[in-house]
Amino acid sequence: MAEEEDDDIIRKRGEIIEALPDSMFKVELDNGHEAICHISGKIRKHFIRIVPGDRVLVEFSPHDLSKGRIVYRES
Amino acid sequence: MIKIKSGSELEIMKENASILREVMDKVVSKVQPAVTTQALDDYAEELILAADGRPAFKNYRGFPSSLCTSLNEEVVHGIPGEREIEAGDILSIDVGIERKGLYADFATTVPVGKVDEGTMELVTATEEALTRGLSQVSPGNRVGDVSNSIEEYVNSRGYSVVKEFVGHGIGRDMHEDPQIPNYGDPDTGKRIKEGMVFCIEPMVKLDDEKVEVLDDGWTTVTAGRGVSAHFEGMVAATKDGPEVYVRGGL
Repeated sequence: MAEEEDDDIIRKRGEIIEALPDSMFKVELDNGHEAICHISGKIRKHFIRIVPGDRVLVEFSPHDLSKGRIVYRES
Repeated sequence: MIKIKSGSELEIMKENASILREVMDKVVSKVQPAVTTQALDDYAEELILAADGRPAFKNYRGFPSSLCTSLNEEVVHGIPGEREIEAGDILSIDVGIERKGLYADFATTVPVGKVDEGTMELVTATEEALTRGLSQVSPGNRVGDVSNSIEEYVNSRGYSVVKEFVGHGIGRDMHEDPQIPNYGDPDTGKRIKEGMVFCIEPMVKLDDEKVEVLDDGWTTVTAGRGVSAHFEGMVAATKDGPEVYVRGGL
C-alpha cells in the first residue's frame, strides 16, 4: 500500500546573492523571492564553502518562507 | 530514522513475503470477467487469516478491506466492492500482511482477457520500472538513486510517474522511513545500508496531470481518467546487493 507523500518540507533552488554575518546568506530563489538562510549542520561540518553566485538547494518550513536552511550546494 | 532489521526479523519478513506471494497467486487465479472485487477481497482475507496472519490494510487509518483493488483509471487504494471486473480491464491488486509483529506488502497489475495494446505497453513499462528501482537497493546507494532510476525509465517511455504517493520502508510498521518517491535526482537522499527493507512501488500514468482522491477518502484516480498501472516489490539491502523478497510481475 502506497504512502501519501509527506510534503511538509518545501525545497527551492536559488542563488546566493550576499553573505551576511554569522554565516547567514541572502538567497534569491528561482521564483524571484528572497530569503535569509542559514547553513545546515552537514555543510558546516564538512566545511563546504558557500560564496555569492553559488547555486543552492534551500529547505523551508511551510510556516515561514522568509527563512530557510541551505542543505546542498550545487557544484 | 531508517530502521536496520536484525537477522531474525529479516527471516520472519521473508516468510511473510512468501505467504503473501501464495495469497496473491491464489487471488489472481480467481480474476476473470464478472467476478466482483469484493469476492477477491473476501478470498484474500480468508487466506491471510488461515496463514495466522492479520490483513495489514484492514482498519489501517480506517481502510475497510484486506486488498486494494484499483481498476483502469484507479491508480491505487481502490476499495473492493460490487463492481464487476470486465474483459479488457487492468486490475491492480495490493495486499499486506502482519504476522509475528512484522509486515509484508506488495502489489501487481493483472490484465483481464484481451487488453488493448497501448494499455499493455503502459503495464509492461511499469513492471520494468519496478525492476530498475529494485536493482538500485544496494548498500552505498542513496534513496534518490532508486527514485531516479524509476523516473528516468518511465519518462523515456513517454509516461509519467505519480508523485503524490510514494514507496516506503517496512518492518514493525507497514510504513516506515524513508519515503521513496518515484521521482528524484541521483545521489540525493538517505544512504542505503545493509539490513534496510523497502517497498518500491512505481505508479505510472499516461499524462503529467495530478491524481485525485475520490470522496471515499481512498480511491485515487487519474485526472483525465486515463489508465494507470502499479507494481510493488519488497526488497532488502544485503551486502551482496538487493534481495527481492516478493514483487509483482506479469
